[in-house]
Amino acid sequence: MAGFSTWLESTAISKALFGLSWLWPACESLHFLGLCILIGCAGLLDLRLMGFFRGVAIRDVKAFMPWGIAGFCVNLATGALFLIMQPHLYLTSGVWWSKVGFIAMAGLNALFFETRLSGSALALAPDAEMPPALKIVGALSLFSWFAVLYCGRMLPYLGTGN
Amino acid sequence: MAFFRSLQDSAFTDWFLGSDSIWTYPTVLTLHTVGMAMLVGASIVVHLRVLHVGSGFPIERLRTLYNIIWTGFAINLISGVVLFVTEAADRAVDPVFYVKLGSIGLALWSGVVVKRRVIDRVKVPLGAGGTTRLLSLGSLGLWTVAIVAGRLMAYLKK
Repeated sequence: MAGFSTWLESTAISKALFGLSWLWPACESLHFLGLCILIGCAGLLDLRLMGFFRGVAIRDVKAFMPWGIAGFCVNLATGALFLIMQPHLYLTSGVWWSKVGFIAMAGLNALFFETRLSGSALALAPDAEMPPALKIVGALSLFSWFAVLYCGRMLPYLGTGN
Repeated sequence: MAFFRSLQDSAFTDWFLGSDSIWTYPTVLTLHTVGMAMLVGASIVVHLRVLHVGSGFPIERLRTLYNIIWTGFAINLISGVVLFVTEAADRAVDPVFYVKLGSIGLALWSGVVVKRRVIDRVKVPLGAGGTTRLLSLGSLGLWTVAIVAGRLMAYLKK
């Protein structure tokens, strides 16, 4: 991984992007904005699945998710740019790989919800008691996203990143 | 100004910034980010709803989100004061810092006005629906300004 990191950082594209002094802070700002949109919209669905906002149909909470996914895409793109510009801060950092692990956990959890639970969840009456499986999926999602945030913010202090 | 200088040069600042522990500066900075996610994340949902995203979501249920908004704000007010103390003299003369504070103040104010209009429905001419949407749009813009200003402050450190 260290070899790949050294190679990536030596490429013309990596050097050219990192040479744009405004790009790094611009990506950071977008990364923060994307995280707020993602945690706001996904967190709302998570809280609903955990049993909060009882009486609100799950369909009406899910309607915010295209925005949450857009926030995630912004962060995926800006995150990829950080990686291309300064790979050594991330690829050899255990904290960064933990962050990737928590993103995978959130993603697999969401995939499980979409493929296995979403149909029955949408069919629930708005004021029905939430089944335990939905509460667990919601709590796991909320936990994963805050763990992602924690790893990202602590990267410079726990590992080698920035 | 001398007061801000004494805060920035205090023994507390030396300990807080100089400590090798992750429980000082890194943890307070992370709390500031958690608070931001709660405060701005919940605000974004409120304003998107006012702008007709998820229009099936009963608008009066947005009330609950204001608990998250104020909790996030409290976390960030406290963590923000601690972070300010450690760079008080520099920030007191930093225009970007005032842009950040000003945009947060205005964004919160518009959030409160939106709540009074569409959730509490206190004696407001509701023909002014267009104005409320404008306030929500403005609030989203102001949160963006606050985030960009906050991020830029890290680059203007002395």
